[in-house]
Amino acid sequence: MSYSEAQIAELVQPTKVHRNVYTDPEIFDLEMKRIWANSWIYIGHESQVPDKGNYITLNYGKVPVVMVRDNNNEVHVLHNRCGHKGAKLVDRPCGQIPAFRCCYHGWRYRLDGKLLGVPHMQGYEGTEFDKDDPQYSMQKLARYESLRGFVFASMNPDAPDLRTWMGGAADVMDNLCDRAPEGEVVAAGGVLRYEHDCNWKMFLENLNDTMHPMIVHRSVVESALEYIETLPEDSPRRDEAEIIPPFGASYETFEESGITGFRYGHHYDGGKTSIHADYTLDPEYEAAMLKAYGRERMLEILSFNTHNTLYYPSLTIKSAVQNIRVVRPIAHNKTIIETWSFRLKGAPESMLKRTLLYSRLINSNGSMVGPDDLTAYFRMQEGLESQASDWIEMHRNFGRDENLGDRTVGKGTSDLDMRTQYAAWRKYMTGEAA
Amino acid sequence: MTTVVTSNEAIREIEALLYEEASYLDRPDLDRWLELYTEDGTYWMPAIPDQADPHTHISLFYDDRVLMEVRRRNFKHPAAASKDYTVRASHIISNIRVEKKNAETGDCTVTSNFHCYLYYRDKQTPYAGKYTHELVRSGDGYRIKSKRVDLINCDAVLNTIIIYI
Repeated sequence: MSYSEAQIAELVQPTKVHRNVYTDPEIFDLEMKRIWANSWIYIGHESQVPDKGNYITLNYGKVPVVMVRDNNNEVHVLHNRCGHKGAKLVDRPCGQIPAFRCCYHGWRYRLDGKLLGVPHMQGYEGTEFDKDDPQYSMQKLARYESLRGFVFASMNPDAPDLRTWMGGAADVMDNLCDRAPEGEVVAAGGVLRYEHDCNWKMFLENLNDTMHPMIVHRSVVESALEYIETLPEDSPRRDEAEIIPPFGASYETFEESGITGFRYGHHYDGGKTSIHADYTLDPEYEAAMLKAYGRERMLEILSFNTHNTLYYPSLTIKSAVQNIRVVRPIAHNKTIIETWSFRLKGAPESMLKRTLLYSRLINSNGSMVGPDDLTAYFRMQEGLESQASDWIEMHRNFGRDENLGDRTVGKGTSDLDMRTQYAAWRKYMTGEAA
Repeated sequence: MTTVVTSNEAIREIEALLYEEASYLDRPDLDRWLELYTEDGTYWMPAIPDQADPHTHISLFYDDRVLMEVRRRNFKHPAAASKDYTVRASHIISNIRVEKKNAETGDCTVTSNFHCYLYYRDKQTPYAGKYTHELVRSGDGYRIKSKRVDLINCDAVLNTIIIYI
């Protein structure tokens, strides 16, 4: 079907969402045009292009783009497309080049996208072709900005600046970086790319869905605890034993952690506490943090404990763990989730090892946590083909969330996270400024 | 690496162990599978070709005894939704080469190629790559001290890998 503007607006109500937002390819295409093109989308971290000529490729929504560092050390986000016939100019995940050169007719571009040269130019003499016409250069995305090394881009020239758009949720990005004794993080230890047979929003809705861990992750928690039971009491401490069991925390524990929602669809759970709050503090790391910040500031940084923070719609971060997941939608029922890990500059190597352990244990394709989440997602994706009801409800704690002006706060089990996302969804999709 | 010249008998013994391990993963039977590993045994599936180690780069799997013990329980746990499907596999192992051998103890490092078809949730997925097994003598036979699984598409976009390959 084709939707009128009014019909699109009706797909999202204060406490329910129409199933078509997950199952209809037409809605997916509209989302790419209206949400992804107008929002800020996470591209990558500056540390992934450390030197001149370094680039990474990715898709912004469905659009192939390249992030590249030019000869003036500036990082750009460009359409990965030749100004001539449209071929992708680079087609590896990452690399280093002196300039862009098309594999087809050899058109060459500076690292900031400006067309440098076209072979056998005389054929164009006397025609209207103008090499300096910007349409023949690689196009820059309308906007790109970095926040503490995290590069976002937008197709919308009128998007608010990145920090304004993030609002209070930027505190978590700052906290992730402040956890480094040198105040900076570096992408490290590679990426996992995990194909999800589901709509991208199902992944987002799960991030602060604190009603699912005790059900979905009971099996891994019980398997771990059952094995721990068999071990002698003086067995060595294992990070796994701190990482896995909190996934089985009670409703009351998650209730206390709270959820905070912001404009544009961002939200996080935790703050005062989270399922990451009781990790052993590495003494070498503590010493480095103490030296860098002094005790008061160090405690302030380390006690801001969030679980998942969503920068709607493309990025979710775990500041206390130093890993992030990036959402790359492919189709209404297919999404790629990338997991990246970060090194805290100035911290001992043990911190990166723990981050990588976490990424592998919780987010990898072979883990005992992520695949159980994915099972719930693909069952929803398939189940929603049923027309038994057109609506998915999100009533939990409705009317009891507290509006504090720049943010809304609610109990940890509130559907505040879903309502926050869909308020932004509706605004983007109906053309209001989200 | 040069291939060690090994007698037919020695090769047959190694083959028998690799085939036995594969047969437990075919069924799959992780309890029997785990018995083939030493107490300090590890199972590693790197996420990039030629990955140097499992700690400074992400891996798809890196299980020592502790995680193997958790995984074998998890695989049978009635509440594990992702395990609520039939899993069957067929492993073919070939190109077996003994890369290193300690003449005194008999401990050796063995590489092989594998093709594995994995049936899971109405879908059959092919995996292919190279195994590297470190085998140590234990009584009359061998046990596995480490197994490294290099998938040829380890750095591609992959779906769930529901069990050890």
